[in-house]
Amino acid sequence: MKRLFNHRFLALIQKEFAQIRRDRRIAMSLILPPVLQLMLFGFVLNSKVQNLRLGVIDESRTPESRELIARLSESESFRLTSYYLSPDALTDAITHGKAQAGLIVPYDYARNLQRGRQANVQFLLNAMDANTATIARTYAQSVIASYSANLQSSGLHAEFSQIAVPDVGRRGRVDLQPSFLYNPGLVASWFSVTGVLGLLCILNGSLVASATMVKEREAGTLEQLLMSPADTSEIVLAKIVPLFLLLCMMALFAIGIMRVVFHVPFHGSFMLVFAGAALCLLSGIGIGTFIATFTQSAEQAQLTSFFVNPPMSSLSGALTPMEAMPHWMQPLAKFNPIYHFGVICRASMLKGSGIETLWPNFLALLVFTVILVSLSVWRFRKQLG
Amino acid sequence: MSVPATYPADPVPSPEATGSAIRTSRLLKRYGAIEAVRGLDLDIVRGEIFGLIGPDGAGKTSTFQILAGVMEATSGTVEVFGKPAREARSQTGYLTQTFSLYPDLSVAENIRYIGDLRRVAPAEIAERGLRYLKMFDMDRFADRLAGRLSGGMKQKLALVCALVPEPKVLLLDEPTTGVDPVSRREFWDALAHLAADGLTIMVATPYLDEAERCHRVALMHLGEIHQTGTPAELRAGLHAKRLELRTTELAKAEQLLTQDAGDGREILDVQRFGDRLDLLTVDPENTTKYVEEKLKSPQLQISEIQTREPTLENTFVATLRSLGQEIRPEPFPGRYDHTDLRGQIAIGATQLTKRFGAFEAVKHVNIQIRYGEVYGLLGANGAGKTTTIKMLCGLLAPTTGEIQLAGETGSLRSQSVRQHIGYMSQKFSLYDDLSIEENLNFFAGVYGVPESERERKRNWALSFSGLEGKEKQLTGSLPGGWKQRVALGAAIMHEPSILFLDEPTSGVDPLARRAFWNIINRLADLGTAILVTTHYLEEAEQCNRLGFMVAGELVTEGTPSEIKNRQEGHLIEFVVDQPQGAADLLKQTLERWRVSLFGDRLHVVTDESAQAGIQSTTTQLAKHGIQVLGAREERFSLEDVFIGVVEKARQQGKVASED
Repeated sequence: MKRLFNHRFLALIQKEFAQIRRDRRIAMSLILPPVLQLMLFGFVLNSKVQNLRLGVIDESRTPESRELIARLSESESFRLTSYYLSPDALTDAITHGKAQAGLIVPYDYARNLQRGRQANVQFLLNAMDANTATIARTYAQSVIASYSANLQSSGLHAEFSQIAVPDVGRRGRVDLQPSFLYNPGLVASWFSVTGVLGLLCILNGSLVASATMVKEREAGTLEQLLMSPADTSEIVLAKIVPLFLLLCMMALFAIGIMRVVFHVPFHGSFMLVFAGAALCLLSGIGIGTFIATFTQSAEQAQLTSFFVNPPMSSLSGALTPMEAMPHWMQPLAKFNPIYHFGVICRASMLKGSGIETLWPNFLALLVFTVILVSLSVWRFRKQLG
Repeated sequence: MSVPATYPADPVPSPEATGSAIRTSRLLKRYGAIEAVRGLDLDIVRGEIFGLIGPDGAGKTSTFQILAGVMEATSGTVEVFGKPAREARSQTGYLTQTFSLYPDLSVAENIRYIGDLRRVAPAEIAERGLRYLKMFDMDRFADRLAGRLSGGMKQKLALVCALVPEPKVLLLDEPTTGVDPVSRREFWDALAHLAADGLTIMVATPYLDEAERCHRVALMHLGEIHQTGTPAELRAGLHAKRLELRTTELAKAEQLLTQDAGDGREILDVQRFGDRLDLLTVDPENTTKYVEEKLKSPQLQISEIQTREPTLENTFVATLRSLGQEIRPEPFPGRYDHTDLRGQIAIGATQLTKRFGAFEAVKHVNIQIRYGEVYGLLGANGAGKTTTIKMLCGLLAPTTGEIQLAGETGSLRSQSVRQHIGYMSQKFSLYDDLSIEENLNFFAGVYGVPESERERKRNWALSFSGLEGKEKQLTGSLPGGWKQRVALGAAIMHEPSILFLDEPTSGVDPLARRAFWNIINRLADLGTAILVTTHYLEEAEQCNRLGFMVAGELVTEGTPSEIKNRQEGHLIEFVVDQPQGAADLLKQTLERWRVSLFGDRLHVVTDESAQAGIQSTTTQLAKHGIQVLGAREERFSLEDVFIGVVEKARQQGKVASED
């Protein structure tokens, strides 16, 4: 191994830093995306459903029915928009999007309740957005369940029936009593924010790296560099090192936002998370450098990144639960650095897991990093040589 | 060679006879505190080719932008055919330094697009496009993508596009930068043709051999015009003659004679070329004696002294010098002397061949360049120069053949070899996004220039570029010529023993080019081997030896004088009453390359004796009512030789023109 820190390497590194300093886009891309993406995914893209427009047909017109309607519309989830007279009008409103959910309280509702019989209400949902519909159903169910629990004390009983799902005849009744560990408040942002950190490392790492690598070729200065006594490994490393340092700062910044803005707890070791992020960054830089070896211009590199990055991020379990993916696809995530970093980040921050449980993920990240970085350095060298 | 006493004055069309095409009066353009154009008075006549020459930053581009009506002057008036420039835009064709052709569109589509933009009727576009393409010998390429044309053809296409709206005035801002000699000559022939048809052309160029082809030339400096006149008038205005001195030891002779040179002295100026010195003097006879005397004591052999007319470059340099613009850099702070290597082979190649697929870019090239030698590699675009250089310096592996570089034959890519090499590539040697200082620091660092020397070297590079005090400026903001100077400075800070310069002076003005060659000669004197490529044959005279490449082969090699002497036939300069008519007529019987128009003078290459050539041409012209006013034999310029060599290779089928 040659002495790395010689005058040449120093000159190369200084040059890279001076260029990065001049390049506003790089500085921006180190601050803007972490802030923007963390905020975006943390605040906006959470799975809470709020203020669904609810249309109602109240055939019962009794205090009981009004009580039920009030309960529903008082919740954050539904907002009563208007009353309808016929089921046709309501269906119409749902079809045209004036209402997103519909409730039909039958004329015998109050009577049935008073007589202690089962009272049925109909709940219609626009299932075009399946996710929203599912969540809305759950909310409606829980509202009615709590309403019916109140009634039970007075011996009354209401049941929720929906037309979207066929009624499965059930005997007996199992009540699920979940107890939420590690995220007792079910703060959705903790999930998304820890996932976004991995995304940031890979996306930003690869974009910035490919742009920097391709720039020299685009400007035509590469030849000049190759004619200098600098070794190709020196050239590539001198490009990677400053980027890595800057991206590490970005990761620190992002972790800071997670802590301060989203109050993500830090049960485990900070160093562990940071080490994971560093490995993840190196994988990202490796991907970017690799892309750069196939492309001649910054535009091409960016376009090529579009083919690589979106599938990688959506198949990583960073923003949607892994379990939501088809079974046969789930093993693919094992080849995705974002997935492993997500596991490390969540387990360490939220659960306080240590290296003893997370070592397989670290090993995987390390393997990716070594493979990607050496592959890209090799490709780059071959191209230059 | 004799100059007839009754050599007629150049017949310039007078403004009274033909009317002014462009007239400016006290034109002024201010950018903030900087005055780019300061009180310009121009009167350009219809049908004239008017050349604007001047160093970088003289205000040429600003002038063009005002004349084209794309920029407002701060004060003063511009009239183009009697109308303000802005209103005359429909009659003005303006070609900027970077042409706005669409590489993804075909030749015909480019023409149609520009025509549509200028609202020319479709039928007119087709008719005119075809006419001009034919005039420029390009009609075969109508369907070719513009991006796939050679540099010269692109330039001609841009010209066609500018001509389709039938402008009355054509403004060309350095149209031939980066265009090879053959295409340049064709381009200028096309301009001459258009001017003869009545088009008024104003052209800026940093190359004085091109200025020779203008009817009138104006020398612009710092926003002002200092001299205007025909090339002959300008040369005569110098009131001096040029002595060409050929001697065995140029460096020593140069040193001796430069000591005594200066204004008011016996020798006004000394300029070194590849195999001769040019001395400027008022009294050639006395100076010849003086020089002979002077060189006698150190036993320098003079092989030849000849008296010649001064060149436009002499005039240009003298004028700028009188304005205090000469670049006098501090001497290069070199520490190493490579003179012990002198005579050994620095760059050697035997049977060098490069194939790209089925295409043979370089064919069996043998080159030997020794330490202390300046070798010029010349060739048209696509002749294989750049590929050859890339192989010689180890950037590209040859398909077959042996290369020797700095004593190494095997691994050209080793660090120790590259430590000895300086390299300045075509256009991009510097980082635009770094400051000048940072660029210099970077190159010093990467080449391991010792800390103790960096300061001096950096200061030298700054003084050489004339950029002292501006070292914090971003390199990207410099005009091309200045950037090239910094790049040369950066490339030689580590005192390489072998220097590759690929078109180092493209876009560099004559004064700076002189400084360039000064330092190149200095390095060669210290034993450095230097390989240069250039498109400018005027500049190639500066090389000790030259190699001409045609279609991947090295066809001629030798000193500039040898190459010129080897050229068969004679060059005759005619002055006739209808230059363009004569040129068109002669082109019908002679090959195109043999006839070319320089302003109002006609150059004809004949294979007969000079006397016979003059006679037969005169009779032929007389038959068609064209009167020859004067004729004399001229010496071949390197450009004439080069074009002759390329054309002969083409006839032998070596070059498949451009189809």
